[in-house]
Amino acid sequence: MNNRSENNNRPFVQPSVSLSEYKLKLTSVAILLTVVLLAPTIQERLSKEASVFVADSESAHNGLPMDWDGKQAMCVLFPSEHPHSAFGMGVTMIDGNGTNLGVNEDYNGTGVCVGGFEGFINGLEFMQNSTGAVGEDLDFGYDVGEFGHLVHTIGGLNSNSVTGDFGGAYWKLDHNGAPSMVGIGNLMMSEGDVLSWSIATW
Amino acid sequence: MYDFHLISLGHYEMLLLNLGILSLIALALYRGERYLEGRRTLEMMSLLAVFGIAGRILLDPLPNIQPVTTVVLLAGIYYGGWRALALAGTIALTSNVLVLGHGAWTIFQVLGWGAVGFSGAVLSRFILDGDKLMVTRLAFVSAASAFVFDWIVSISILLEAGPSMLLPYLLNGLPFDLYHAAGNIAFVAWLAAPLGDMMLRHRARPAIQAVSELVPN
Repeated sequence: MNNRSENNNRPFVQPSVSLSEYKLKLTSVAILLTVVLLAPTIQERLSKEASVFVADSESAHNGLPMDWDGKQAMCVLFPSEHPHSAFGMGVTMIDGNGTNLGVNEDYNGTGVCVGGFEGFINGLEFMQNSTGAVGEDLDFGYDVGEFGHLVHTIGGLNSNSVTGDFGGAYWKLDHNGAPSMVGIGNLMMSEGDVLSWSIATW
Repeated sequence: MYDFHLISLGHYEMLLLNLGILSLIALALYRGERYLEGRRTLEMMSLLAVFGIAGRILLDPLPNIQPVTTVVLLAGIYYGGWRALALAGTIALTSNVLVLGHGAWTIFQVLGWGAVGFSGAVLSRFILDGDKLMVTRLAFVSAASAFVFDWIVSISILLEAGPSMLLPYLLNGLPFDLYHAAGNIAFVAWLAAPLGDMMLRHRARPAIQAVSELVPN
């Protein structure tokens, strides 16, 4: 006889399950399924409501071509330690049809801005179209994780490859000059909005 | 020779795999607890920490659904607020440093779960009827705890943005609060009874009360 194994000197009562606990289990599954099904719709509606609070886009157009005033634009700024091979001097301005409009050397950082777009509502769709106007130089990659789309690579720069005296780095998304409250996949855009990507660290 | 490391799993396949691993860990901890003789509060806390860390990491593919809030709430109920805070800090720091990413937000997570633990301690008389766990009441408290935790963690946005961003940030996070609350209710419904039973067996006996009056001999 095994005297040691499990502790037989103390009472071990298999917990009995009451009817109310069965009901709670079934209810919990129903609640979970309901939330999973409804959350995307709720998220979309709340994103629209929250977009009202996003700052005016006028100041976000500073430094961009005047032709883009009132139109949508996206900028990607690269850290000085990791400049883009094609956009390493100032910030290159590229029109939505792929025309190179010139370089703004007074812009804060180096990289590229693509603009002159209208009518985009979904952030991810806008990003795919605006980066597509530049060609392969601005290809981007993302994972779909717990909190939506997480962009890890833009223009060949993976944020995980950025190292230094910090915990880690990530591609940060600004919406009209303020940190975006949602990922690019859930971002609701208005006319004249400016998105800006840059590497941030923690 | 086959190289099984080349098998790539999709989102849902990975989630199923993780759920299977977490179930095995939970079963092993449940069985392992029976080998603890006497009242071993600290060993029990260690088992809870392992379960919390594993649960948080393995359920990462699910949006804001993880067992930590429920575990910390139960720790507060059975072992008090300070031990729950220690458990919250251990789980948050370890899982963040190992896998999920450690930064300024970790302290807000520790404070958020610590607040949940202290709430459990304060509400223990409401949630426990003697030694019996009132699971339905616990489910309500765990759902409310989801919002408390998420809103405390959301304050971390003020490190980067102005106060005007807080309200839209909370508004945008509401679906994730709902995921968290629904997950907590499910964890309470399915896990609270066995976990509570285990924790009760390892709760330290109340200190002997001093006799206030002299007993005549």
